[in-house]
Amino acid sequence: MAPGKRVLPSLGDATTARLRTLGVSLLLATAVLFPPLINNDGNVDAAANALSFAALALGLNIVVGFAGLLDLGYAAFFAIGAYTYGALASWQLHPAWSDFWAPFAFLDLVARVRGVGGDVVHFQVSFWLMMPLAAAIAAFFGILFGAPTLRLKGDYLAIVTLGFGEIVPIVARNSPSLTNGAQGLNGVIPPQIFGYSFGVSATPYYYVGLTLVVFLMFASQRFKFSRVGRAWMAIREDEIAAAAMGVNRVKFKLLAFAIGASFAGATGTLYVAKLQTATPEMFMFPVSVMLLVMIVFGGMGNVWGVVVGALILQILQSWFLQDLSGWINALGRLVDVEWLQHVQLASSIELIFGLILVFMMLYRRQGLIPASRRVAALTTEEQTALPTRGGFDNLQGLGALDDSRTGPLLEIKNLTVRFGGLVALHSVSLSMPAHSVLAVIGPNGSGKSTLFNAVTGLVAANEGSIRFAGEEIAGRSPHVVLERGIARTFQNLRLFPNLTVLENVLIGMHARLHAGAVKALLRLPRTQREEHEARERAMEILAVFGNRLIPRVDHVVSSLSYANRRRCEIARALASRPKLLLLDEPTAGMNPAETLELADQIKSLNRRGLSIVLIEHKLDVVVNLAERVIVLDHGEKIAEGTPAEVRQNEEVIRAYLGRSAAFA
Amino acid sequence: MYALLAIGFTMVYGILELINFAHFNVFMIGSFLGLWALEALGLSGQSQVLTGLDLVGALAFAFAVAMLGSGVLGVAIERIALRPLRGIPGTTGMITTIGVSYILFNIILLGAGAESKNYPNPMPPVRWDISGAVVDLREVLIWAITLALMAGLQLFVSRTRLGKAMRATAQDSEAARMMGVDVDRVIVAAFFLGSALAGAAALIFGLYYNYTSFLIGYSAGLRAFTAAVLGGIGSVPGAMVGGVIIGLIETLGGQLIAVRWTDVIIFSILVLVLVFAPTGLFGRASPTKS
Repeated sequence: MAPGKRVLPSLGDATTARLRTLGVSLLLATAVLFPPLINNDGNVDAAANALSFAALALGLNIVVGFAGLLDLGYAAFFAIGAYTYGALASWQLHPAWSDFWAPFAFLDLVARVRGVGGDVVHFQVSFWLMMPLAAAIAAFFGILFGAPTLRLKGDYLAIVTLGFGEIVPIVARNSPSLTNGAQGLNGVIPPQIFGYSFGVSATPYYYVGLTLVVFLMFASQRFKFSRVGRAWMAIREDEIAAAAMGVNRVKFKLLAFAIGASFAGATGTLYVAKLQTATPEMFMFPVSVMLLVMIVFGGMGNVWGVVVGALILQILQSWFLQDLSGWINALGRLVDVEWLQHVQLASSIELIFGLILVFMMLYRRQGLIPASRRVAALTTEEQTALPTRGGFDNLQGLGALDDSRTGPLLEIKNLTVRFGGLVALHSVSLSMPAHSVLAVIGPNGSGKSTLFNAVTGLVAANEGSIRFAGEEIAGRSPHVVLERGIARTFQNLRLFPNLTVLENVLIGMHARLHAGAVKALLRLPRTQREEHEARERAMEILAVFGNRLIPRVDHVVSSLSYANRRRCEIARALASRPKLLLLDEPTAGMNPAETLELADQIKSLNRRGLSIVLIEHKLDVVVNLAERVIVLDHGEKIAEGTPAEVRQNEEVIRAYLGRSAAFA
Repeated sequence: MYALLAIGFTMVYGILELINFAHFNVFMIGSFLGLWALEALGLSGQSQVLTGLDLVGALAFAFAVAMLGSGVLGVAIERIALRPLRGIPGTTGMITTIGVSYILFNIILLGAGAESKNYPNPMPPVRWDISGAVVDLREVLIWAITLALMAGLQLFVSRTRLGKAMRATAQDSEAARMMGVDVDRVIVAAFFLGSALAGAAALIFGLYYNYTSFLIGYSAGLRAFTAAVLGGIGSVPGAMVGGVIIGLIETLGGQLIAVRWTDVIIFSILVLVLVFAPTGLFGRASPTKS
């Protein structure tokens, strides 16, 4: 199969694409025509509110659904956006007039008002200016609140965000000079456009809300299918593997917080403008939970699902619960059951939310509309096809080493790693030239994987130096180590289980691609080209494993066989264009034929100039591949040499095979 | 009181690595159970005072009802909502406990109403003046009961077979299971004990503040959680010490600054502890990623 044919598999074929366009246009048309058709201000008002909450849910979805950071205080950002506009477009703040304000007055941001209260400034910053401004301010607070929580595990993150979510409304309530405290702001200026004031009619707000939701959906989708979205999902799936694949965790988590918060900031502006007031009670914990219910209900990580979930729950609240209560009461009168006549579903909405959360979690965790996509099952031919062997000999795009440099590629001196009282590595030194294969062997618990972890920055070295291509890398973050050109696989496999094979490999390329949030949003031709090339390169790397992975590129990794997962992890590491590849027991769990096949493939990688360090228990693989072997036992290097030399070493035999074992 | 409540968080977290938001409202329901128990004895308001054996009997009955009821509720939550989700990584379990918490909260809100309820106080207003410090009987009793419960828990965890199994499971549930520990039973026991202590704490809350309402779970729960974190999550003595410290901070902070900022102070402590000293005072396990 030509790799080029399936380059953009997740976008579907032309017919479904056309159907989808048609469907989206129909939906949009219905949404646009909704107010004139329904012709009832109350209902339009409810719909406008529903849209506001859909926008908020989209923002929370970035943080929780994409990046997997459970934020229970999301309403705080909503509050920040709302109060930013509320304070700068109402009578709340009215400092005395001075010449300082003159330029702002010229820009029409403030007005000079002489009246009963004296000569004061009236803030009247335009809604349209405030929306992006409030988004930016909320994003700033997103980073501020996010920064201290980054080191924390998921559940603690939730608690800290809950704390911030609590603090913000309390501060709002206790700072009456800025927010008018519990009474709430009043006299917020309604937006104007071309001299037409929105006033109190719901319809214009509905359209602004619709535009906002459509834009945020668009942005969410763009993020999702970009380098940024993949980095978020990698963090969600496995933070450590994400870091080892070059994702700067701090940066992308903060980015998720900032973008999520900016959605809420913009929505807060709209919401306050519509209500023309803001009270602390509008932004308390129940709002955060309601948003969480919406995205859980709709399907975390699924943009359409989240919007549908939000709209359903909002509309349920404002329309159907009343009617439903009425019906139940009528039923109660009919069958003469006392309590049925008094059921008020509207007041039990939170009970319903709780039930939704528990039931969704127990029975349908993926939500109403699951984020995972349907994948065509393999055809019988594909399933029964004889495995073909690829080979790396034709592979372009592996990182080329700067050959002018002399000296060892990797040089470790006196590396010591301690875990509390346990010395996992004790003063280990090694040196390997470029283009070579080094094997590390030793009994379980001898410190082999710790050596890898220390080199890749996942554990800190207590003493010693690690130089890669002449540069000290000890103490560097995992993603920096990857950028320098060291990629690894893990002994226990750390793929991103709910992402597809292709996505896994694309995340491997993270450090070699450039598209940031802005570029992902704009998707200029250059970014498109980059993405296209990345996908082609991914297919090229996957083709190395013959027909083992290519037919399965769209399958989620967790559905693969064990050997294929190992292959996928190697492909992911190769995608980062490493100079040095660390393989931690690559053939573990493979049968002899598969082991041979993989050993050949590793060999051909080395022929292409890639240096490899290999942890391996199968001695025949070691002998076959490695030029040099080092042996670790109890964290110390006990032998080094060619495979043949190491085989003869008495101490190795004793440590590795046990005292009485004869060396076969 | 916060100490008793904090123990529940710590026990469940120590074993399941799960922050149990439902605990907040198990506490709240415990206070209602205690209220109903006292009302069933014909007590209401502040005027009816019991003495001697009657008082001991009434309190024992109320504590028994509140603790057993809460304990059974905790076990039910574990069985119905959390056991099917065990082993699923990520935020699933926590989101479920939020859902359960919401359900409990609203059952009481809809069933018992939104107004806060007057708590009967059957203890006679006896006061002693010990060199200037006034101590009343109620405070002495509350302290005595709290200390007795904590001591009992400590004995249970350190001396009994089930207690040993619990500590083993907290260390490594996989290994404990292989050594023949019935991990399910341990988890049920942890939920029962934690929830029962929450029930006791709830009754103490009611007796001390003379009211209860559907709202108390949230703020008390968060304070208790802060106490658990401050003491070092997973550590039972840590939870006790943390609870006392939070109680003091709440009282002093309210006096020195302003009551309306108390929540902010407590949340700030929570955030600061988590960020700068995540293992707390006595914690072993760090809440940062390993």
